Amino acid sequence: MTRTKHRTLVKLLILAPYLILLYLFQATVFTRLTVFGTKPLLLPLAAAGVALFGGKVEGGVFGLFAGMLTDMACNQPTVEFTLLLTLTGLLVGFLADTSLVQGFPSFLICGALELLACSAVQVFVLIVLRGAPFSVVAGIALRQCLSSLLFVIPFYYVSRFLGRVM
Amino acid sequence: MKEFMSKKGIAIAVAALVVALAAAVTVAVGGGRTGFATLLSEPFFKPLRGALNTLVGSLEQTYDYMYRYDEMAAENQRLKSRVAELEQEYREYTEISEENERFRKLLGFAERHQDLKMEPVSVVSWTASNFACSFTVSKGSSAGVELYDPVVDENGFLVGQVTAVTPSSATVTACIDTSAKVGALIYETGATGVISGEFELFEDGNLKFSYYGDEGLINVGDTVVTSGTGGRYPAGLVIGTVTGLTVDASGLDPYALVEPSADIRESTHLFVVTDFAVSE
Repeated sequence: MTRTKHRTLVKLLILAPYLILLYLFQATVFTRLTVFGTKPLLLPLAAAGVALFGGKVEGGVFGLFAGMLTDMACNQPTVEFTLLLTLTGLLVGFLADTSLVQGFPSFLICGALELLACSAVQVFVLIVLRGAPFSVVAGIALRQCLSSLLFVIPFYYVSRFLGRVM
Repeated sequence: MKEFMSKKGIAIAVAALVVALAAAVTVAVGGGRTGFATLLSEPFFKPLRGALNTLVGSLEQTYDYMYRYDEMAAENQRLKSRVAELEQEYREYTEISEENERFRKLLGFAERHQDLKMEPVSVVSWTASNFACSFTVSKGSSAGVELYDPVVDENGFLVGQVTAVTPSSATVTACIDTSAKVGALIYETGATGVISGEFELFEDGNLKFSYYGDEGLINVGDTVVTSGTGGRYPAGLVIGTVTGLTVDASGLDPYALVEPSADIRESTHLFVVTDFAVSE
């Protein structure tokens, strides 16, 4: 086995269980547990972490699967989050490879932006396709971002640890 | 014998005789119960005997404990296993009892609605979305569940509708979801309209009843039931109770606020209506 293949296998063995564990938490615990009256979104935060500490390819691939699982957890077709988390994973990974410093402030900013992007897309889809009132859905979206951001510190340490192991 | 009968020997024998005589006298004086030796020694020996008995008792207990430790440990283990078994039996009993209660209620509902064919399901997971109210149930197309089948609780209260099916599971969109729309009427007056989930009411879990015709036909406390219009729901399923009358943001369209009768967000065991007589 070549060194590259070996590294890919190691990454797969680390990231796949991490992703499955997060999905199970998202689809079970955090469908019943609410913070500020909303359910926190964990997978976008995890995707931001893997992209920041893992790089562009890891961020993109992890974002793709994390997006699919988030869409599945939301009982919706795998479109919105699948596309969004893949793209943001690639973008954050690219920035991490080129210019971003891999520290807590960067993770906080990337995570917050990723959550805001997710909420913005959800709000946009609801307004355009379902005629939802902006003030109501924006309020829910904002609370969703805040409740998810409560988990930024544990995700920072886990992501940093995974980045070092990979 | 000569040695035995020496002065010392004689002295000992005399002493024994004296003691014996003294004992006989004290026994005779004391009513034949206690000898003088006992009387003299009792104050000294009694506490000692008591202390010794306590010590021996403790040692005996310790010995018993050490000797029977394995036996007691095994017994303890057996008892623990038995307690666990009984707890498990109690849990199963409670579960069966609850299930029985649900089926009893359903039986009452099914007797009133003999045209309905129902499939019991349990809720597997809920959506992670903050903008929708849907959940996955344990049975799918292989159990006869089809797209758009209505879903009710054990009381026959409307919970939602199947919106996606796989062979082994189905996704149910609750009637409070913002995409849900159900033809409905007021049971007391027959006023017709449409029940729908609204973004403004979603978080409180309430519904909007947009009605046609006279406002006077709707009163707080009225029961809203499915009208059967459109053929997707059987007629007469209870949706909820009117809790208020209001107008929308434009101030032009009046509507009634309806609180669902089913405890939708706490649902665990439900019934999919797989077949019913269309009332149209």
